[in-house]
Amino acid sequence: MLEVTLPLARRPAGRCLTAKAALLAGLAALVAAPASFAAPPPPAPPAVTSPTTINPPAAAISPAAVAAPEAATSSPPGATPPVDEQVQSLKSDVLDLNRDLFVLEQELLYPANTQVAVFVAMDAGTFFALDSVQLKIDGKEVANYLYTPREVNALVQGGVQRLYVGNLKVGKHELVAFLTGKGPHARDYTRGATLQFQKDIGAKYLELTITDDQSKLQPQFRIKDWE
Amino acid sequence: MRALTAALAILWSLPALAARFHAVPGVAAPDFALRALAGPNVRLSEHVGQVVVISFWGSGCDACRAQLEALEQDFGRYGAQGLRVYGIEVADDQTAALSFARGTHVTFPLLLDPAKAVARLYDVDNLPMTVLIDRDGKIRQVVRDFNETSRRACEDELRTLLAE
Repeated sequence: MLEVTLPLARRPAGRCLTAKAALLAGLAALVAAPASFAAPPPPAPPAVTSPTTINPPAAAISPAAVAAPEAATSSPPGATPPVDEQVQSLKSDVLDLNRDLFVLEQELLYPANTQVAVFVAMDAGTFFALDSVQLKIDGKEVANYLYTPREVNALVQGGVQRLYVGNLKVGKHELVAFLTGKGPHARDYTRGATLQFQKDIGAKYLELTITDDQSKLQPQFRIKDWE
Repeated sequence: MRALTAALAILWSLPALAARFHAVPGVAAPDFALRALAGPNVRLSEHVGQVVVISFWGSGCDACRAQLEALEQDFGRYGAQGLRVYGIEVADDQTAALSFARGTHVTFPLLLDPAKAVARLYDVDNLPMTVLIDRDGKIRQVVRDFNETSRRACEDELRTLLAE
């Protein structure tokens, strides 16, 4: 699946641990006191909050029990929130934790000092129907990606794909991209683009851009170094 | 105590086993992208929400032809209900595969796996081999043969999957 990147706010690793601790505490509370969801808040009448009134036998239904849902929605402040809210809150916490873990994993696998990332973007694409991209860094193949029509469409509409992320030492390097697809008049088309770049301390971002050259009626491939 | 140790050992080795045997029912179907003999490239993960049948075939396999023709009937019958069928060629000879594909009159896409990367992902050890994937993208059934019994079982499972 095409991965379209969005800028992520950098978070301290400590927040991840805090979120994890909070989630674990929530889960522990769930496991330890499952009855607490149905436990009555002190001021509420027993008929409203008794666990038996959740699914009462037909003979036990009373006007007070029928009024239970209404009474439950207007629980007094400080009472335990309903199960649905707690579940939603837990789901939200899990999603937050997952995102934080992803960011943390990325930071560990690709530290900012050595990170190099290659993005693919497409402008127009009238003269070129992208089929695949092969990336080589210093002569070694690092990525080979096959595009489906949906992915190409996402790129044409302005999406930016992070095709490769890896680590490189400080120094001079060479990136070569081979692009295959259908060129003008639906003919098979293979082109290459090369960039020599200097990797310093800090992340390096490179962008492979496919544009239309209107004057030559040909596609144009460029690799841009995001300084 | 020994039983407990054995149970723990089995539990401990389950993830490793799952990692080794990818084509196991209940496991998420490994994603892939392949070129088609005719038509656009195909990526499996774009078909989450649809029932997908993958059939691995080779030009030197007689049962594969019968399998593809049977799948063509299923595709014609259930295509409108969200069934997607893909035949993945895993033979060595691409020319023979092309002529084989022309000989079969299937209308679903036939994909090429020249590096056998997808065949390795799905542990293809027999041809034809058919994998049924549910709408959640999980493998539901792996059929490593083709005969009347397996075909009937496959059709029953397909109907179940489409009804879900």
